[in-house]
Amino acid sequence: MAELFDKQYLKKLEYLELIARRMVFGQQQALRPSLRKGASIEFKDYREYSPGDDPRAVDWSVYARLGEMVVKLYRQEQELDLWVLLDSSASMAFGEPSKFDHARKIAAALAYIGMANMDSASVLPFAHELLEGRDHLRGRSRVFHLLDYLRELKGTGQTDLIATTRKFVSRVRRPGMVVIISDFYGLELAQRALDQLRFFRHEIYVIQVATPWELDPPIRGELRLVDLETSGHEDLTITDSMLRRYRQAFEKFSADLKRYAMRYSIGYARAETNVPFDTFLVDVLQRGGLVA
Amino acid sequence: MSLLAPWALWFGFVAPLIVGLYLLKIRRQQELVPALEFWMRLAGPAPVRSLFQRLKRWLSLLLWLAIVACLLLALGNPVITAGSIKPQSIAIILDNSASMQTQETDHGDQTRFELARKEIERITKFRPVRDEWLLINAARRPQVMQPWTRDRNAIREALQDVAPHRGSSDLRSAAALANQLLSGKVDPLIVVISDGAHGAVESLVQDSQNVAFVRVGNTQDNLGITDIRVRMHPQMTAHHVYLSVSNSSDQDIESQVTFELDRNVVEVRPFSAKARSEWRHTLTLQAPEGGVLSARIERPDALAIDNQAFAVLEPVRAAHILLVSPEEQAYFFEQSLLAMGPLVDQARSRTVSLEEYELLADAERSADLVIFNGVKPTVLPALGAFLFVNSWTSDVPASTIGELTMPSLSIAKRDHPLTQYLNLGGVTIARAHEVDLREPAVVLASSQNGSPMIFLFSRPDQQFLCLAFDVLDSDLPFRNAFPILLRNAVAYFMTQGHAWVKDQYTIGDTIRSLRPLPSNISSIKFARMGGESISEESALVEQNEFAVDATSEVGVLRFALNDEFAYAAVNLASYDETMIAVSEQKLGESHLSLSTGLGGMTPWLALSAIATLLIAGEWLTYHFRWTE
Repeated sequence: MAELFDKQYLKKLEYLELIARRMVFGQQQALRPSLRKGASIEFKDYREYSPGDDPRAVDWSVYARLGEMVVKLYRQEQELDLWVLLDSSASMAFGEPSKFDHARKIAAALAYIGMANMDSASVLPFAHELLEGRDHLRGRSRVFHLLDYLRELKGTGQTDLIATTRKFVSRVRRPGMVVIISDFYGLELAQRALDQLRFFRHEIYVIQVATPWELDPPIRGELRLVDLETSGHEDLTITDSMLRRYRQAFEKFSADLKRYAMRYSIGYARAETNVPFDTFLVDVLQRGGLVA
Repeated sequence: MSLLAPWALWFGFVAPLIVGLYLLKIRRQQELVPALEFWMRLAGPAPVRSLFQRLKRWLSLLLWLAIVACLLLALGNPVITAGSIKPQSIAIILDNSASMQTQETDHGDQTRFELARKEIERITKFRPVRDEWLLINAARRPQVMQPWTRDRNAIREALQDVAPHRGSSDLRSAAALANQLLSGKVDPLIVVISDGAHGAVESLVQDSQNVAFVRVGNTQDNLGITDIRVRMHPQMTAHHVYLSVSNSSDQDIESQVTFELDRNVVEVRPFSAKARSEWRHTLTLQAPEGGVLSARIERPDALAIDNQAFAVLEPVRAAHILLVSPEEQAYFFEQSLLAMGPLVDQARSRTVSLEEYELLADAERSADLVIFNGVKPTVLPALGAFLFVNSWTSDVPASTIGELTMPSLSIAKRDHPLTQYLNLGGVTIARAHEVDLREPAVVLASSQNGSPMIFLFSRPDQQFLCLAFDVLDSDLPFRNAFPILLRNAVAYFMTQGHAWVKDQYTIGDTIRSLRPLPSNISSIKFARMGGESISEESALVEQNEFAVDATSEVGVLRFALNDEFAYAAVNLASYDETMIAVSEQKLGESHLSLSTGLGGMTPWLALSAIATLLIAGEWLTYHFRWTE
C-alpha cells in the first residue's frame, strides 16, 4: 500500500488544507480559526474586563476614551482533531479492488493530510465495535507508522456502527472532525449512530464506499447469494426486473444517506472503487467541501 | 398402446441426464454480496418457503421430463389400438357412383366422394404398419388406379387422378376384381369406401369375411327422377311419357316437375312424394313432329344430378307397307295390317303379286317394310327392311339344310322389341325349314332342336326378318301372336329398326350404333345439346360401327349421319343412386384396425406437437419467472 503514496503525490496533498465547516475547539493553537476567542492577531470582539483577565488584553485606548475596562478578544486558532473511523467489517472486503483497500487508502490519505498540516489525526477501525487504532498522530514522520498499521489491518466481523459511535463518544469528549468511511449498509442504524456524533457536536463527514458491482451488479439467473459478513445465504433468481429494482433501491439508499447528511450539515461523498483514490480526494472531496 | 419403433426408448437415458443437469442447475452458483439483507428486501419476505414455491422450483424439471417423454414416444411411433395390428394386403374400393356426388351439409357441402377420398387418406395415415395397398375406382366399370404398392403416398396421389363419375357403379365387379388381385396375398382385406346407399354394400360384406365397409355421408334429403320412358300411342296419335320420381328422405316432400318440349314448357305438375317411396306420372303429349323432352324437379336438394332427365320423342309417321304375296295367301297379313290403324299408311300400302312386284319401278319398290310371303324376288332394293316368310333370297345369309316336322316354337330373345308382348307357346307348326345361319344373326325364336325359326339380319342398308315356316302351315294366323308379331315388326322397322342409336342411355354407357353404318361413312359427328350453342365432336367409324363415350353428364346427344339426325338421351335414372339414404348399420368395421389419433393427428405427430407446446410453455414459464 505504501507505494501508492509516493512523494509526488504526498507533495500534492500538502497543498490541500483541511477545513472544517464548523469551528472547533482545540488544545493547541494551530492554523485553524476557532469560534472560541483566544490569543491570536485577528481581532474579533470586546468584552468587559473581569478579574483574572490578562491585563495585556485590556484595550487601554478605549479605557482612555470611555473610562471603561474592556478586553480585546482575538480569534483563537486551535488544533483540529481528525478522527477517521474506518469500517473494517467483512462486507468491506467486497469487490476487486475491495472496498476495504480503497477505504484504507482514503483513510491514510486523509490522515496524512491532517498530519502534514500539523493537526492530530487518528484512524480508528471499527466493525462490531470501535477497535484500537492509531490516534493523535502528529507530524509526517508518523505516517509510515500509520501505513504499516493499516497494511496489517484485516477486514472482519459484522458492522455495528451504533456500538462504535457509542464507544467513540465516550472516548472522545472534545468535538472534532469525524470522517466515517463505510458502505453504510443498514442505513437506519447508521443514522442513529450519526445522530450520536452530532449530539456531541462533532463535525461529521461520511464517505460511502461503493464498488461498480454494487452500482450495477453483473449477475443474472439462479444464484445463491452469500452474505460476506454473516455467511448467511439465500437462493434467488436474479432477473432483469429485479436488477432494475436493485439499481433503483441502491440509488435511493445513497440518496437517503446524502439527504440525511445535507439536512444536518454533514459532509457526504461517495467513493467508487473504480475511481482512483487520489482522483477521488482531489476532485470529488474537493467539490464536497472536505478538502479546501 | 404399442410402439412400432421401440428402439427409440433407448434414448431414455436422456431423462436421467436431464435430471442430472437440472440438479446441477438448481445447485446454484454462489455469489458473494456485501449485504444480503439488501437483496432480501427486493426479493420479498419468503421466497422459497411455500409449497407452491417448491412446486415452482420443480415445475421446470417436470416440464422437461414431460417433453422428453413426449419426444421419446413420438420417436417410438406409438400405436393406440384396441388390439395388435399386423401388416395386411388391403384393396381399397372407392365407390364412385352418382350418389357419391351427394353434398353433405354437415361437412360444408363437400360431396361424399370428397369425404371418401379423405377417408382413404385417413385410413392410410392411421394404419401404423407397412401394409400393401391397392386402389380400385368402382365406377361404371372397376378400374385399378394404383397397383399393389407399399407406398401409401402412392395411394393418396392416385386418389387425385380419380375423377368423379355421375353414373352407377358396379361394386360387385369391383369386389370381384379385388378378390382376384388379392389371391395369394397374406391377410387380404377389401375396404369399401362407399355411402352404402340402397344396400349395395351389405351383400358384399355378407358374402365375404374380409370386407370392411367404411361409410361416408348421412344426408338423405333427395328427390330424383328414377325413370323416364317414352312410347308411341298404339294408334300413333300421341306419345306417352312415363316419369317416376323417388323420395329418399324420411319425410313427405311436395314439389313440382316441369316438362319442356324443345325448351317450351308443356306442363308443370305439382306432386307430393311420400317418404321413401315413388311418385309416378304419365304424360300424354301431342307431338307429331317429335322433339326433345326434359323433365325437371324444381327443388334444390343434396343430389342435383337426378333432378333433370331427358327423353327423345320420335316423330309420328305411318308406315308404308308393301305386301308381296300370292293373293290367296295374303288374307291374314292384310287383316293384321288393316287392324294396325294409323300405324300403317293405308293409302299407300298395298298387296301385289310377285309378278307385279317385278314390274314395279325401283322407286315404287321401296317401302318402310316389304313383306315377301312365300315368294322370292329376283332383285332386292338396295335399301330397306324386308320380312321373308317361308323363303328368302340369297341376300339372306341363311341356308335351308333340312325340314323340321312339327317343330315347337319358343322365344329365344325375350328382351328384343320384336318379341315384346309375344307369346308363341302352343303354336303348332306342321313343317318348317331347318336353317343354318352363315353369318351372325339375332335369333328371336327357335325350335326345340335349336334351329332358328324367326331370325333377324341387319346390314348397313338392309334388314331382314325371316320366318322359317309358312304361316299357313301353322295355326299362328289364328293366334293373337300373329298380328302382334307383325305389329312389332312394323313398329321396329319404323322406329328402332331405323334408329342408329337407342333413345335412352344411362350415364357411363357407351353409345354404339345399333346397326352397321353405310360403308361410305368413315366418321360421324355428334353434339351435346344444351345451352345456346352446340359444340360438335366427331367419332371414327370402324367396321361400320362407332362407339361414343361422351355420356358423363345428363343431357341429349345428337348424331349426324349423312343428312340424317339421331338423338339419344342420357340420364342417371337410377333408383339405387337416387335413394341416397345410407344405412346406419356397421358392417365389417372390425376387420379394419386403425390406430387412434390424437386430435385428428397421428400419435407421433400429436406427441411432437405436445412436446413443442411444452417447450413453448417451459420457455414462457421461465421467461415470466413462474418457474425457477
